[in-house]
Amino acid sequence: MKSVIRVEGLTKRFGRRVVLEDVSFEVPADGVTVLLGGNGAGKTTLVRCLMGLSGMDAGRIEVCGLDPARSGRGVRERVGYVPDEADAYPWMNARDLFRFLRAQYPKWDDERAYRLLERLGAPLATTFGAMSRGEAAKVMLAAALAPAPQLVLLDEPFARLAPPVREKVLGVFVEEAPIAGGAALVATHDLDVAARIADRVLVLDGGRVVVDTDVRALVAARAGGGSVRESLRALYPHREVA
Amino acid sequence: MDPSRDAHPCQQIVAAVLDALSGGELAAGAKLPSVRGMAAEALVNHNTAARAYRDLEQLGVVRGENGRGVFVTRGGPGIARRMRRAQTLDAFQVAMHEALRAGHDPAVLARLLGGLGGLSENGRRSA
Repeated sequence: MKSVIRVEGLTKRFGRRVVLEDVSFEVPADGVTVLLGGNGAGKTTLVRCLMGLSGMDAGRIEVCGLDPARSGRGVRERVGYVPDEADAYPWMNARDLFRFLRAQYPKWDDERAYRLLERLGAPLATTFGAMSRGEAAKVMLAAALAPAPQLVLLDEPFARLAPPVREKVLGVFVEEAPIAGGAALVATHDLDVAARIADRVLVLDGGRVVVDTDVRALVAARAGGGSVRESLRALYPHREVA
Repeated sequence: MDPSRDAHPCQQIVAAVLDALSGGELAAGAKLPSVRGMAAEALVNHNTAARAYRDLEQLGVVRGENGRGVFVTRGGPGIARRMRRAQTLDAFQVAMHEALRAGHDPAVLARLLGGLGGLSENGRRSA
């Protein structure tokens, strides 16, 4: 299996609290992998480790063949990353952000960026300071997909969208992500999101990967059939929040 | 840095440098403190200061020259002034919408604005 992410024995503590414990997994170089887990499962910490934004206590990480702690610049060039809180400068609008990112991504594609913005129904001239969180999420998503990166890495990108808007944005994501030609890793707590977009699912619970499976194989193996959502739900440790 | 403000410390450093550029305290060609020096001055960790410098470079206002340090680019002050203008216009629009929502008469707001317009021609430097 060709992989865009390899994680081996990743352990991360905050003080005495173990947030990630001996986490190992790989993400294939194409398709959408969903990192599913409830609040506090360690999703955001894991994503930050993948981007080299958070140190680790043990383990080895490779993203696009690079060690994010040593080759931060190389990783940033190859990954379209959207953090859980949009971190664009409040005075920037979408146009300013795109100009800013053009300097970061060798393969930045302006035409694609503006087309995505239009498809997502995101504002062009509003600054981040004046955007709703949902609007900011759409602009960030367009920016993540625009450079056709090897990896699109999204941390709860759809959580801030009202349900009808979310459905539209998910539709655009499902259509556009494969056009980019890379892989996507999407962290979410939301079973509906996972069922809609996942080719593979990693379930993170209590700082450990407890499930790592191909969605089609999972549904096929389930006695009595049923929907993708039902099959995922059976694996999900936080059924009450789903 | 002021931890009570909700902007990320990195963004506060960037804003402070842009302010200094648009206010004329930092001119084209001026040398900025080292990343280590900036981190110490702003009481943030090294990574935060490094990220702020990276963003400033990406914005086109500074350039790192190997071994010599970080310098304001020729176009830096102009870029900073443009950003500052966009930022203040945005704050003004937000305030105006709030005033309208609160029930202020648009005609009264327009008169206020007219008065300010006269002011700014005389007292431009005071802003």
